[in-house]
Amino acid sequence: MTPNGAFTLGAILIALGMGVPGPRGVAVLVVLTLAFAAIEVRGASVIALKRAAMVVLPLAGFMVVVWVGIVGESPAQIAADSAGTRAAALAYVATLCGRLFFIVAVIQLVFLRFAKLTPLQVIRALALPTTLKRVLVITLSLIGTLRHAIDRAHIALIAAGTLTRSPSWRNMIHSWRLIQAVWLSAITIMVGRMRDKWPVEHTIARLDDMLDDAGPAWFSGDDRIWLPLTLGAAVVILVADRIGAV
Amino acid sequence: MFTTPRLILIALGAALNCAIGTVVYLLKLPVFLDSIGTILVALLLAPDRLAAFLCSWAAGWIGLALSGLINPFLPWFAMTDVAISLVAALLCVGAAKTFRNGLVETPPFIGQVLLCGIVLGVVSAVISVPVVVYLFGGVTGSGSALVVAVFLKSGQHLMSAAMLSGLASDPPDKILQVLFAALLYRATPGEFIAMLRAREPEPSR
Repeated sequence: MTPNGAFTLGAILIALGMGVPGPRGVAVLVVLTLAFAAIEVRGASVIALKRAAMVVLPLAGFMVVVWVGIVGESPAQIAADSAGTRAAALAYVATLCGRLFFIVAVIQLVFLRFAKLTPLQVIRALALPTTLKRVLVITLSLIGTLRHAIDRAHIALIAAGTLTRSPSWRNMIHSWRLIQAVWLSAITIMVGRMRDKWPVEHTIARLDDMLDDAGPAWFSGDDRIWLPLTLGAAVVILVADRIGAV
Repeated sequence: MFTTPRLILIALGAALNCAIGTVVYLLKLPVFLDSIGTILVALLLAPDRLAAFLCSWAAGWIGLALSGLINPFLPWFAMTDVAISLVAALLCVGAAKTFRNGLVETPPFIGQVLLCGIVLGVVSAVISVPVVVYLFGGVTGSGSALVVAVFLKSGQHLMSAAMLSGLASDPPDKILQVLFAALLYRATPGEFIAMLRAREPEPSR
């Protein structure tokens, strides 16, 4: 399966999940997603589910506090001006969090499918314009550079007594110093690279050659099985509950 | 339009948007500060508003796509980033001279920061609310959810409660972001801004 195929499949699954089909549609959607996880991602699927739980559980806890604890009724009950129940609020939170869990799990599954590839290899395999791929590669490189700059500047400002490790007013007031130190560090590095380093080493031309070299097709291999299957399943998911209703 | 220095600027803006999330986490700040890179890209390309819009939009979306790997809910606010880029190009770019050369503690500087921040805050609240309501049921993990809860408890419908909460919490955050972007713009070396304005030389291999 190619990254293009996996990202397209992930986008279709998430769009279907957002479409909130009825119970039959949800069942087909879950089976399709589990099939993708079992066949393409295999053992790493457990990691995807764990990560999704780690993202959604704190949010779910917060939503329970707000909806069940404070508000005590569901939005439908508020809109209808009917008597609210905490059970309805809890059901509302469960539906929302189920959907959020599904979205996060699908994103994780798609990326874990290519866990053995480096980010550079994944970007290279994408059927995108070279300019966009170039910007993505440079951005990823810069994020690493900025993270190092943040670590260094953060420690220096704590040592200087400007910032503190725990939440404080001092952090609120002086946070801009950390951001400015990081920005100046990044700008200085990039000006140096653009003016002196890259022209001598032909970095951009080499990067373009490397990114262009692959000439990836949009879809190939297992994409030709998964995408028609997913589109067929999408039709079933969208009509399954309507047929039941008729 | 997209010369190499401008592509680098897009990458810098996107990386800054992603990296500031780390700063907010490290300093445990009660704000988002997730569009400073987007606003800064527009300011650095002043007075070319079209380039400012397109480059800041690109920076915003690339930042969202990459941040989405860590926080999968951010890409849903893609339209908010388009609106922020548009307002930054139309409004903030007009204030670029004041932000670059004016004294920080003078009324023109403070006034422009407040104006740009409030407009950005209102626009982003209006665009974000439908996403917040549909995806999160009006309650995200941020502290503004408690404001939503208070409005809901007072009998407001979900959409209006989320809108009122957004209008209360977004402008202060965006004022802070415009202020930070203006301070970073002032600190950016003139050499880099000159590179952004220069035409692309012929490639030599």
